[in-house]
Amino acid sequence: MLIFDELKKNDPQLRLVALVLVAGFLTLLTGLWWVQVVTSRKYQTHQETQAYRTIRIPAIRGKILDREGRVLAENRPRYNLCVYFDDLGGAFQQEYDRLRPQQVATSGGIGWKFWRRSSSSHLNRVRLSRAQMDALTWQARFNVVDEICRRVGAQLGVSLPLDPKRFVRSYEEERAMPFVIMPNLNDAQMARFEENQQDDHGVNLQLLAVRYYPYHTTAAHVLGEMQQDNQSAAGEDSFFNYRLPDYRGVTGVEAIYDDQLHGHAGMDSVLVNSQGLRQSEVVVSQPEAGENLVLTLDLDIQQAAESAILKYQGPNASASAVVMEVHSGDVLALASSPTFDPNDFAQGITAAKYKEIQQLTAEKNRATIENYAPGSIFKTVVALAALEHGLNPHAIYDVQENPERPGRGCIYIGRRKIEDTAPPGPYDFEKAFMHSSNAYFITNGLWAGVENIIRMGDRFHLGERTGLLPHQETAGEFPTLAHVTAPDWRAGDTANLCIGQGEIAVTPIQMAVLISAIANGGAVLWPQLVDHFESMDTPLAPNPSRFSAGLVRDDLNVSARNLEVVRHAMLADVQSPGGSGTRAAVPGFEICGKTGTAQIQDVHNRTVGHNYWFASFAPYENPKYAVVVMVQSYVEGGSGGLVCGPIAHDIYEEIIQKTGASHSLANRNVKPNILQSPPL
Amino acid sequence: MYEMHLNDHPARVDRLLLAALGGLLVMGTLFVYSATLAGGSAAIPWYDDIWVRQVFWYLIGLGSAAMICIVDYHVLARWSLVAYGLMILCLVAVLIPHIGQTHGWGARRWIDLPFFQFQPSEFAKLGFILAAAHFLSRPADELSQPWVFWKGIALMLLPFGLILKEPDLGSALVLIPTGVVMMLVAGTPKRYLIKLGLIVGLLGILVLADVLFAPRGLQIKMQDYQRQRLLVYFGIDFANKNATPEERAKAQRLRADKSYQVTQALISVGSGGLFGKGWCKGNQTALGYLPAGAAHNDFIFSVIAEEEGFVGSLVVLTLYAVILFSGLRIAGQARDRLGKLVAVGVVTLIFSHVFVNIGMNIRIVPVTGIPLPLLSYGGSSVLCSLIALGLMQNVYIHRRGY
Repeated sequence: MLIFDELKKNDPQLRLVALVLVAGFLTLLTGLWWVQVVTSRKYQTHQETQAYRTIRIPAIRGKILDREGRVLAENRPRYNLCVYFDDLGGAFQQEYDRLRPQQVATSGGIGWKFWRRSSSSHLNRVRLSRAQMDALTWQARFNVVDEICRRVGAQLGVSLPLDPKRFVRSYEEERAMPFVIMPNLNDAQMARFEENQQDDHGVNLQLLAVRYYPYHTTAAHVLGEMQQDNQSAAGEDSFFNYRLPDYRGVTGVEAIYDDQLHGHAGMDSVLVNSQGLRQSEVVVSQPEAGENLVLTLDLDIQQAAESAILKYQGPNASASAVVMEVHSGDVLALASSPTFDPNDFAQGITAAKYKEIQQLTAEKNRATIENYAPGSIFKTVVALAALEHGLNPHAIYDVQENPERPGRGCIYIGRRKIEDTAPPGPYDFEKAFMHSSNAYFITNGLWAGVENIIRMGDRFHLGERTGLLPHQETAGEFPTLAHVTAPDWRAGDTANLCIGQGEIAVTPIQMAVLISAIANGGAVLWPQLVDHFESMDTPLAPNPSRFSAGLVRDDLNVSARNLEVVRHAMLADVQSPGGSGTRAAVPGFEICGKTGTAQIQDVHNRTVGHNYWFASFAPYENPKYAVVVMVQSYVEGGSGGLVCGPIAHDIYEEIIQKTGASHSLANRNVKPNILQSPPL
Repeated sequence: MYEMHLNDHPARVDRLLLAALGGLLVMGTLFVYSATLAGGSAAIPWYDDIWVRQVFWYLIGLGSAAMICIVDYHVLARWSLVAYGLMILCLVAVLIPHIGQTHGWGARRWIDLPFFQFQPSEFAKLGFILAAAHFLSRPADELSQPWVFWKGIALMLLPFGLILKEPDLGSALVLIPTGVVMMLVAGTPKRYLIKLGLIVGLLGILVLADVLFAPRGLQIKMQDYQRQRLLVYFGIDFANKNATPEERAKAQRLRADKSYQVTQALISVGSGGLFGKGWCKGNQTALGYLPAGAAHNDFIFSVIAEEEGFVGSLVVLTLYAVILFSGLRIAGQARDRLGKLVAVGVVTLIFSHVFVNIGMNIRIVPVTGIPLPLLSYGGSSVLCSLIALGLMQNVYIHRRGY
């Protein structure tokens, strides 16, 4: 071979040269082998990190629908007006050239220039220092973008001031990304922009999805609030160079089912040139849309509950209404007042608006998160305990007259006198229930024994969370057996408990579960808010419901006869003249209810306000719906029936209108009553 | 090709050499095209495209080489002193402002002709080889006389100094191995060469030490960028020992700036891997990481290495190896010492370029702005390389004087 011929030459000098050549080539070859084969990976990585930028593309968030498929939360396109730096390289350069100081110089030189038909005077560029050139470059870039802002602003009829600091930061850190000069264009602005778009190089619209709640405040507490959060979810790539705005639910079902709604973010890879400007874009992984969440809520009933509260108590009232199907545990409405518009959070809330919301504590879901003394509605539990203990509902009890308030009854526990709003005279169970006689229920409660009341309350799972909205629910308060059998538990405490005051607090959702159990024959249910998830691509495909209806948590184990006694007394409370809940009555619809008024006391044991309650179900024959209304008021002179009755009335009217003669909503399959573990 | 030695009817041209040459020219065209793809705009007419110009220079160069082959190199050698003189004149002329042009690079290397930016240092290399071959082809006993040796050194140092003055360190430096190898092959006594080697080596070390470590006041006058290239190569901080942190940070930024080209060239070469990214698919040039002005010039090899990988590098090295070893064979077959010296001179010159240029891409040699013969874009370089090969071919054609 050629090389070896040269190495074997008998000319020593040439042989030496050949040797040097071979050594040289071998050196290069080894070097190249090392760089290109052995350590190639290192350089490839280096090349990728300098030339590729990854962008996190959020997935389309699943919708939230009511039980009839009406959209409660969806995504709306949002258009941001953006400047794309990668289209402006030429414009930057032109502006730079224009800004650059020049001077006219006369060239007196000889040489080929003279030959080459060039004139003897020409423009000379002034020599600039590095810092001056940098400053000029920034000035040029700023001028170009500022000019665009001004021109586009004029087209749209708005002023678009360009903040130099934001511009410099965006250009330095996110050069490959669109630079937003105006967020959230409205339709008119969109139209104007599109009209003038032809000559706008480097300006374009960026489409983003923003969460939208078409019914605004409706079911706001159930749906919840969203917050911008571009971070990677668990199981995603954690490193991205850039992230497009993404949102995360912080309260309500938006937060609880965030994982399912959220979907999986995708990834784009952008090739950038040495100036950091975008060259091309490749989709590495498509985002996977989240699943749609179908709630058990019924939009009509939810709206009826909210507007009833608004109508009778105004927008700032502290109130809540819960409508539940008594057999399935499906929550049809969960209203809380005061309320807010979740759109404000999704679109970025203003400080003033947020302050207003905070002052009203409007973010609180009063149906689940606040403790309220139940007052007289707790007498249903006392009644069941006493009846089970053997109380004869027809036995007559005489209520003695309150010496200080003629026409009203009272009862003495030791030396303490407890007032009764019911007038003195003979009472059987039903009359006592209708008039909510404190004396009757305290007497019979004490007779049945506090342990039996506690045991009955435990079967209703008072003092425990219902599991409806995990982490957004309070357990309420209910004394334990150990507590009531301790020596420091007095008869007075039991008396207080019997009228739903003292060491007891409940939430409206707990009361809905309690009333449902009485109505459905003794099954204490897990309330349900979610019907099922459905995939966004194939909403019609049969999807196994992950949340089965009618999950029974516990059985009351109360005789049907006693339950019937209580139910009949509740019916009388609403339907009979003189009942405390007559305001809720709807002609032709047998509603059973119990009113309640609990005092709110300040630290000095002075009464400062009341919790008004109306806990009900209907119809009497074959119960279907439980409706619980709670209003917290600091105004004197109300009662559960007066304050909450009309609200319940309006809700029942909507239910009747909705269900017609059948008195039944589109029902989910109710499973046989088997004790099951909680659904979550 | 082995049989060539025994062939009764010697070939007029060396076919293997020609094939390798053809391969290099094709590669040169392809990759100058690829390297200038990004910067190309539709505004310039097709004949102004860089790769078209390159082809044009290839054709001119091949024509010149063919013409050179017609005249016996003995005749050319007789005119070599004239050529040498003209070349010295050009090198002096280029140093005069208004005649020599800097083209914004800070070094005065070009003379603008109406159609061509003439780079005298390239042609000086040719003139030097011819003149040195002519000078050293004198009888062997004359070579052992000191005055001949020193005259030879002077012959080399004159263009060396002038090119250094431009300044063009790389072009100046390649004259030294060329001259030394030619002296060696001519039969200059060993003692002279060893002495020369010692002196050059010592001087080199002294200069390097001075540049790298001496305090500001004692440093040899040198262009800033040259000093910085050396500092980058030897991985030495730009900042002084007692610099403030700000100064140090500034020096570090400067260093990153200055080593940018080398770093990017290395990334290009390394990221090519075994098989490369494919022709015209290299990112480094397309995205401008490898500066557009340098990619088709001094850094053409990194473009090839990125797009064709180690395999491509191997092909390039093989093609050069074929040309250079053919050159050595031609030197061995030459009719006389003159022919042998011309061939060896050309071989050494081209090899020095190839080694330094490729070596700089993989950081085994500091950055010096010298082109890769035949592949790099540039009229002067292409023309001179082809003429040099023509000279070599000339020696081959006229290897038998009867």
